[in-house]
Parts: sequence; C-alpha cells; structure tokens
Amino acid sequence: MESDEEDYVFFGTPIEREEEISSRKKKAVAEASGHLRTLPSWKQEVRDEEGRRRFHGAFTGGFSAGYYNTVGSKEGWAPQSFTSSRKNRAEAKKQSILNFLDEDEKEELEGRFLGTSSQFDTFGFTSAEIARKQAEKEQQQRPSIIPGPAPDEIVLPATESVGVKLLLKMGWRHGRSIKDSIANTLHDARREARRAFLAFSSDDPKVQLTDSEPIKGDRENVFDQPANDVQSSKSTPVYVLNPKQDLYGLGFDPYKNAPEFREKKRSRVSGERGPGYNRKDSLFGFKSGKIGPGFGIGALEELDAEDEDVYATGYEFEETYLEEDEESSNLSLENKKKLDKKHEGALPGFRVASNSDYRMDRFEAPVIPKDFLPHHTFPGPLEIDCKHYDVPPQEVPPPEDGTLKLLIEGVASLVARSGKKFEDLYREKNKSNPLFNFLSGGIGHDYYARKLWEACQKRSDQTGEHLDGKVPASVQRLTAESRGKILGEKPLEKSFQGPSSSVSSKDIHRQLNLSDTFTKSASFSDLPEVEKPFKDDPAKQERFEQFLKQKYEGGLRSISSSLASNMSEAARARERLDFEAAAEAMEKGNWGKGSKPSAPSLLDFSTAGVLQFTSGGPELKKDPQTEDFMAKKMYPKREEFQWRPSPLLCKRFDLIDPYMGKPPPAPRIRSKMDSFIFTSDFVKASKTDEAATGKKILSPLQQSENQNSTKDSAEHVTEVEVEVENVERPVDLYKAIFSDDSDEEVEDSNFNRVDNQEKKAEIANTALSRLIAGDFLESLGKELGLEVPPDKPYPAQKSQNSALEKETANANARSNSPKVENIKETSLNQGLPHLQDIAQEVGSSKSETIHGNMRESSSSKTKGTSMDDNSKLNGKKDEEDRKSKTPTTRRRDNSDSSRHHRHWSRDSGSDSSSDDRDRYSSRSKRKHKSSREKSKESRKHSSNHKHRRRESRSRSSHYGMEKSRSDTKREKKRKD
Amino acid sequence: MSLPRKEASVLKGHEGAVLAARFNNDGNYCLSCGKDRTIRLWNPHRGIHVKTYKAHGREVRDVHVTTDNSKLCSCGGDRQIFYWDVATGRVIRKFRGHDGEVNAVKFSEYASVVVSAGYDQSLRAWDCRSHSTEPIQIIDSFSDSVMSVLLTKTEIIGGSVDGTVRTFDIRIGREIYDDLGQPVNCISMSNDGNCILASCLDSKLRLLDRSTGELLQEYKGHTCKSYKLDCCLTNTDAHVTGGSEDGFIYFWDLVDASLVSSFRAHTSVVTSVSYHPKDDCMITASVDGTIRVWKT
Repeated sequence: MESDEEDYVFFGTPIEREEEISSRKKKAVAEASGHLRTLPSWKQEVRDEEGRRRFHGAFTGGFSAGYYNTVGSKEGWAPQSFTSSRKNRAEAKKQSILNFLDEDEKEELEGRFLGTSSQFDTFGFTSAEIARKQAEKEQQQRPSIIPGPAPDEIVLPATESVGVKLLLKMGWRHGRSIKDSIANTLHDARREARRAFLAFSSDDPKVQLTDSEPIKGDRENVFDQPANDVQSSKSTPVYVLNPKQDLYGLGFDPYKNAPEFREKKRSRVSGERGPGYNRKDSLFGFKSGKIGPGFGIGALEELDAEDEDVYATGYEFEETYLEEDEESSNLSLENKKKLDKKHEGALPGFRVASNSDYRMDRFEAPVIPKDFLPHHTFPGPLEIDCKHYDVPPQEVPPPEDGTLKLLIEGVASLVARSGKKFEDLYREKNKSNPLFNFLSGGIGHDYYARKLWEACQKRSDQTGEHLDGKVPASVQRLTAESRGKILGEKPLEKSFQGPSSSVSSKDIHRQLNLSDTFTKSASFSDLPEVEKPFKDDPAKQERFEQFLKQKYEGGLRSISSSLASNMSEAARARERLDFEAAAEAMEKGNWGKGSKPSAPSLLDFSTAGVLQFTSGGPELKKDPQTEDFMAKKMYPKREEFQWRPSPLLCKRFDLIDPYMGKPPPAPRIRSKMDSFIFTSDFVKASKTDEAATGKKILSPLQQSENQNSTKDSAEHVTEVEVEVENVERPVDLYKAIFSDDSDEEVEDSNFNRVDNQEKKAEIANTALSRLIAGDFLESLGKELGLEVPPDKPYPAQKSQNSALEKETANANARSNSPKVENIKETSLNQGLPHLQDIAQEVGSSKSETIHGNMRESSSSKTKGTSMDDNSKLNGKKDEEDRKSKTPTTRRRDNSDSSRHHRHWSRDSGSDSSSDDRDRYSSRSKRKHKSSREKSKESRKHSSNHKHRRRESRSRSSHYGMEKSRSDTKREKKRKD
Repeated sequence: MSLPRKEASVLKGHEGAVLAARFNNDGNYCLSCGKDRTIRLWNPHRGIHVKTYKAHGREVRDVHVTTDNSKLCSCGGDRQIFYWDVATGRVIRKFRGHDGEVNAVKFSEYASVVVSAGYDQSLRAWDCRSHSTEPIQIIDSFSDSVMSVLLTKTEIIGGSVDGTVRTFDIRIGREIYDDLGQPVNCISMSNDGNCILASCLDSKLRLLDRSTGELLQEYKGHTCKSYKLDCCLTNTDAHVTGGSEDGFIYFWDLVDASLVSSFRAHTSVVTSVSYHPKDDCMITASVDGTIRVWKT
C-alpha cells in the first residue's frame, strides 16, 4: 500500500505550474518591498514567502500573534531558554519582583526602603551596611580565593560614627584601647617587670617552677576581671544593649516580680550562644583561651599580640564541635536536671526539694526457687556415646554367679539398645538391690562395662553404614535419588557406557575410580584377597600396588616405578601392561558388583543424566560408596552439539564463519511456553505455520538436509542422542575467502545461495505486489472513468490470482522439473511473444494515461480524448488476443492482463473456478509469508520495483521468472 | 617459588561489599566493583585510588578492561552492560537486552565484542565496533543462570548454575557441553589455556581438561555454598587459589591437590581473587568492603 506510487511508472518530469507560483511570489515580494513600508506598524501584516497571511486561530491572535508573528519584541526581548543537561543542571531560579522591573521602576521601589541618612548615622549602621553591600558587589564581580561573604572586620564603614568622631576629638586614636592612662602606665610597668623576670627564669628553670604558682593565680585574676572591660584595642563593635528577642508585647516584662529568673535566662541564653557567636562575630578578635603554654600573665595585664600562641591552629573547630554536639544530643530533661544541679542554691528564695514526686519504678528480680539448678540436663542420648570407650575395656572373666552374668549381659544389651538413661534409671531404681551393684561400681562392673562396649560395637556395626550414609544426606538437600531411596524406589540401572565411544568411557572409568581414591584416600595395601592378582609373587604384588597407587595418586604424572629398578626396560614394560590389564579387570569387577549393566535399551538414561525411579521391584541393596562412585562416574560428561555463530560474531572474532553458505537453521521451538507465546501473536503464529510448511516446500536435497537437522534438534530436545552426530565441515572455503567482506553483503550472499528460502520470499513478494498492483490499477481505472466491477472485487481477484498462480506454476515447471517442462513448454513458447507484446502495449498505454492524467489536472483542456483512445485501444487489443490464443495461453493472458486492468477479465472467473485447490494453495501461500521474511521482503520489494522500472518493457519475462519460482513451490506441494 | 602471603596494602574506598577485583592486562592497575554501584580503578602496588566510575544504577558485579587499557566494560544488577572510556570516565554505550541481572562480562581479544553472562540463562555478544545496541548473538542453550564467562581467541566459554561449562567454538561451530553435576560459580582458565578451573557450589574446585573434558583434579577445603566466589590459577599454573566464605584464602598444589596454604585474609566472604599476570602478587576482594594486595 505504501508503494502505490512506486508501482507506477513515470516518464519524463512533470510540468510545473510556473505561472501560478511565480505570480504569487511576485506579489509577495512587491508587498514586502513597497506596500508594507507605507503602512503604520500596527496595520502591517505578516505573510509567508508566498504571500499568504498566517492564521493563528481565532482565539490565539487571529492573523497576527505575538509581536508581528514573532516571539520577539520591539526592544528585541528574547525569551529565556531553559536548558538543562545531565552535566550542566539548570538551577531552580528564584524569581523576585526585581527581575521584572525596569531600571526606573527599580529606583522608584528603592525609594520606599527606610534607611538612616548619613548625617544621623550615630552608630554607623547605615554606612556599615552600605560598605558591606559594596563589598558584596565587588566580590561578585571578582571572586576571591576565600569563599563566602567577607567578614565584617575587613569591611569598614566609609564614614565614621558620631561616637568615633567624639572620641577622636577627645584624643583617642585608632588602634588604642579606651582606658584610663593610669592603668595603662601601670600595665606598662608590670610588663617590663615580667619581661625581666622571664629573661631571668630562662636561665634558671628551677626558679620558674617555684614561681609558677603565683603566676597561675594571676591568670585567675585576669579572668575574674569584669567582662565589660574593653579589652580589644581595635575598633569596637557596638551592641545594642537589650535587643528585643522575645515575642512579648512592648513594655511587658515577664520577670517583673521575679528578677532572679531574668538573670538566669540571660545567662542560659548567652551560654548557649556563647562560643559559636563570639567566633563568628570577631574573626580576628583574640581569644582569651589561647595563650601560649607555660606562661602566665600578670594581674593587670591584658592579652597582647605577643602572648598569643603563634603555633596554635587558628581555629578551634574541635572545641566548638564538641560543645554543639553536647548541646544537641542532650535530652531536655537531663539538661534541666543538670542545670538544677549546677545552680543549686543559685536562686535566692528557692530550695531544692528534699523529696520529689518523680520516682523510678524498680521491679524486684523474680525469686528463684531454692531447688532450681542452673543446669539443664538433656534426656540421655539414645546412643550411648562410646567416646569414653575409646580404649575398649579389656576382656574380663564373667562373674561366677550365673544369674548375675545373665543379668549383666541383659542390662548391657538393653542399655546399648535404648540408651544411657536406662542405665541411670536402673541404677536409681535398684539402689538398694545388691544385684544391681555392678551398675554403680560393685562386683561385676568391669564385666558390665565390657559387655556394654561389645553391645555398642555390635549395634554401631549394624547401623553404621546407615548412619554414615543417611545423616549427611538428610542434612543436605533432598535429591531425586534420596527421595527415591526413601520411597523405596529403585533407580534405573545405570550403564557405564560412555557417551561417545568405548575408549573415552574407559578413560572416564579410570578417571572416576581415580577421583574416588582421591576422596577416600583408600590405601591399597588392604585390598581384598580377590583383588590381589599377583598374590603368588609378593614382590610383584607390591609393585602392582605401588603402580596402582601412583596411577591414582599422580593422575597427571607418570613416574616409572622405582621399585623395579633392577628390571630390564622390556620386562618393566611388559609388567606395566600386565598391571594395566589387571587394574582394568579389577575395575570391571568392581562395577560388576556395584550394578550390572542392564539391557542396552536402557543405556540411554545414564548418558542423559536422568535418573528415573520405578516403584516396587526387587530392591537392590546399595552401599553409599557405590552411589557416590556412580555419581562421580556420571560427571563430568561431555557432549557436543551443533552451534551456529552469527556471521557478524565470526567477523568480529576474525574467524571464518563455519556455516557460511549453509541455510539458516530451522527456528526451533524451545518450550511449550514459547510456542504458546507464538500462537498468541498472529504474525508469529503464521511464522511457525510457515516454518512447518516451509519444510515441505524445500527441494528434496534441502529436505533431506532439513530432516537431518530436525532430527538433530529433536535429539537435542530429548537428550537421548548417544553418539555425536556427524556434521560436515564447511566446504565453502573458496566462497568464504573470496566472498565480499561487508556484513550486509555476507548476509545477502548467504540468502542468495539459499535458493529455496529466496524463492519463498519472492513468491511472497510477488503475491503482495500483485495485490498492490491490483488495487492501484483499480483506482487508476476509476480515475480514468473505466469500468470497474464494484460488487465482488475480492473473490474475483482471488480467483484471478489463483488462476495466475496455476498458470505460473505450469509455466514454471519448465525451468525446474524437466518432466513438466516437456508438457508445457510448447504452449508457453507459443504464448510468450504474445505476452511480451501485450506487456509492451499495456506499458505504453499506461504511461500515456499517466501523462494524460497530469495534463488533465493542470489544464483541463486535453480531457477525454486520450482516455477514450486508451480504452479503445486496450479493448481492441484484448479482443484480438483472445481470438488468437489457445485456451491455456488465453487464460494466462487473461490473468496477466487482469493484473493491470482488472475489469477486463471479469470472464476469467469461470476459468479459474475449475481449480479450487490452487486457489486455496495460493491463499495459504500468501498467508504463510513469514514475519522473518518480511523485513527482507520490503527490501526485495523495492528492488523489484527498481527492476521493473528499468525493464518495464520486458516485464512479462520478469514475471515469467517469478512464476517459475512459484511453480516449483507448487510442484513440491503436489508431491507431498 | 613462594606464594603471596604478606599483606602489602589495603585498598579502602568501597562502601559495602566488593564483588569483583581484577588486575588489568599488565598487572599495574586493578579494577574493582561492588555493591556501592561504583567501579574503582586502583594502583594496587602503591595503594592509590585512581578513579571512580559511577553510572550504574545497581550493584556492579563484574568489570573487565581491554588489553590496551582504553575501555572498560561492566555489568550488574541493572541488567545493562556499560561500555566506558577509561580516561574520561564516561559511558560510551550501554547495552540493554538482558532480562535479568548480568553476572559477568568479558571483552574479546581485540575488544571488538563484549560477551555478557546473565541471570536470564543467556550469553550475549555485543558489538563494540558498530553503533548497534542489539546483541550480535544470543546463546540461550543454558538452562540456568550463567555465572561466568571466558573468551579465548576462538571460543566463548560459559559456566552456569545448571552445572555445565559450555564451550562455544566459533571456528568450527560446535557447542561442547561439559556437565559437572554441580552449579558452577566461576570459571577461569589456566595460563597455558589447556585447563579450565571451575568453582562449584559443593565447595570444590574442579579442574577440567579442555580437550577431552576429563576431570583432572578436585580441590577441597574451602567453603563455597552460597556465594559467587572467584578462583584462579597462579601465574605459573603451579597453584590453584580461591577464596572462601569464612574469609580465608586457600592455595592448592595444582597437581596433587594438596592444600599448600590457607590463611585468613578478610573478615568476611572473599568474593574475588585475581592473580598478577607476571609477578607473585594477588588481590582479593571481600564483602567487608576492602581489597587487599598480597605479595611474597
């Protein structure tokens, strides 16, 4: 359908309607140049390059939207574009009103903010603010190394406050502290004294030690000094004394009648804020805590630059962190408690209550009954642990008393059977009974111990293999085998036939036996008597054992026996052969014991690794060892399958595709689930369908191959194949080397070689193209005013198609099967020239009609005549043809022409009705077009068109080819 | 010849379990990936963290680097294979298509193909040369999760939980199927290319002869029951080494399977071991989040 136009053949280039286009353009140009200039801007209209007004919709601006149909503005405003990429995320922009205001508006707005004029700036706030803003602005312009806003200390107000001015007038200078001069002089004197002292003490450390105490005291004094004393000599930040920080009304004092609380609150607040705030406010202010270690300061001295510890880190992050952490982590209750404790008695008029209402409820520990023993005794184990009988008690003669002996034996066996607790029970019960004295160390105790041990041994011998086998098994996962064992099923007998050949199986046997010995580390010295093939010659037997050991142990190495070093090389070789044979015989003997190979019909199960259990049947007693051994024997096992690497993969691995030139494998249905999915999907269902039928259609050679492959796949699925199937090695080496290199080409060539697949695809293509052509021609006929059968378009078409199909089939037999060729060739040869003629005629007439059609639409003058001519011409031709043809060729001709003008061949329905079967087959064929082919088909399709365009004159021959292909297909079907 | 038993350095940085650690081709660098969704590039000899590659949406299970050290591929729980540029740390391509987590990934010899092994029972080959994001081939003959993949010049070898080690020979177009009977965790090849060492979930390492499929040896002693633990051969093929779920590393003699050495390397499961291609040096990665470098 999409290739309606492609199916049509165009000759020459269509005539463009120049005059129309050019006139409109001229008009547009004229309007743009002269006309518009004269109009005022609000009357101008925007037109496109062809002079049409652009309509934006009735509610979206009519003919003009935006600024002259642009998104710009007179000032050239460009909208902000939002761009955000993964690497460069757009930030969420905060819009403020200032973003949308013009400069003058901003100024206007600025006027509304309140600020102190510089005249009345007593405390220098406003100027400080201005300076800060200035600094911020500068920083934004030139970002400095130190991030963040500049500290207040750096930014100094440009103007000085009135206070500063006053101070300056009073004689204060910048960089001096505000203090009375007496203190200053005193301080200086002290300072000198201290320096002298330090100089002295550095000579004599002992003196320093003794003098350290008063210094400390001095330091305390320093801290005791009132805090409001101005210590810093730099310009002092000014604080408003009592900033209002609460939410009470103005003038309301909650502490009016309780001034103590005010104090308390203030101290708490300042305590909370203390460290963090101070540091922040005075970044460069000296901290009182950071005096250089080792030296004190005199009473009236103040901290100076010299006293600073130069080597200390500038910031005490640790300290602040700790404090903050403490604050945040403390519970409020605790906090309060602590405060209470700290300030005990701090509040005048308050006393700490002697007893509080709050009391912790503590519960007494439960009373332990007196007779409780903190030991839990488990009920005695069923089996007497024979561990303390590691050394078996020596044989003791039974006591003389016959009854006592019997009793002892009985008790021993009972205890052995039912557990240690019985012994305890007996002992408890028969404490007073002298007969049972042997239990508690009386007469016959030794004998009892011996008997008990014997009984235990006996028991463990009985249950030993049981326990050995079963305990770990139950711990492990329940496997099919163990389940079978539990249910009393007997596993199907496994054969030891190797999967591939007897040689490899032998290898595996040895291998497995080998691995068994690895795990068991069985010593071969205690080989059973049967397995000592050389027992008459002890030396040889020894060598044999050595040989076995080496063989199993080494596995990988081959060390010549060192024992038989005195033997000749030949003798050694002979002996070795002997040993090999003996070992093999031994192995065989082993397996014979384990399980006999059963009938060969059952052989496959073992190789497939499937253990099937049949319930009932005589149960074969198997010891776990052989089980284990069998499991080992099964693994590892090797199988080989065919596997098809994709051509591209081979190319990427720089290898030659081993399957180059081989047909693609039949799509295999992997599981029921998959096929289920297929059927749910229509297309896919058809695909599987196609796959099924496709196999039938294949040529005999192909078929046989295919059968092989299907057999193979079947074998894969059921995993019953015993022998590795032989697959021929790729022989297309020549092709592989000299074929084209690019991937698609490889693929293509692949498909070209795969003739049958190709044919199928083409048949599908032709069917489709025929359909398309039919539709198109119908519509064309309608346009030309020709008669079109309106009522039953599809059945007619189908019948025609089927007729065609049959025809093509007949025609085709020629090329592929020589038998059919003989029959049909003559008629075909007769028909062929005619066909070609017709094709030419039709082609030319069609091209004519196309021209006519175009002319008709552009200038409606040449209507009618050409069309009439066409119809007349065609009709005449048709009649002529019909007369001059044999029945077969006529039919063929009918169908052929019907493809192009369907209305001609209304009568052909009667012809085609004779072969219903063919119709069906053609339909089914069409349906069976696989989805796999579809992709290729489209490509093919286009190539077909190209082809047709190129040689539209010899189209009939082209169709003939296609027909021949479809024919082979049909032939195959018949055979089936 | 001595075994790397001394801890040379500890590479810390992963937050959470490290799932794989791999030397690069010449052994100068190593790559690790883990549950923290990152891939890290280290210089293990100097103990330096070089680079972190972040883009994965879930844990990264395996990583591999080309022989020329220019590209990385990685895979993980997000079902994608990422193809990275080493220098810039950017993802060049993502290959989607696996229907489950991707367990392992490897480059082919000339870094033209990436082959990935997935929980969806398939091996997929992806093309690095073209811009196609479709797999070149899907090998779905496995019947359970494919845990590990190996590539030779002509073969793709996969180990699966279905107990098989399957060798797909591209040159002759055959699939060779070796059933071990036990879930295979990890496969690694001997340096001479003749044997495959498979770590099985029954706490055994099995050495297979590649040409015949024979079981040459079994190595026991470690614990491997529920984790995907790596195993490898030493650079001289003299020993077999592997991690254990109790944090130990084990060394066995290749030929007689005797336990040569075992020592506690990590506090938790040793997920991955990688042996230096030339020197006696080994890196181990663990669930405890560290990678340790061992030298003689």
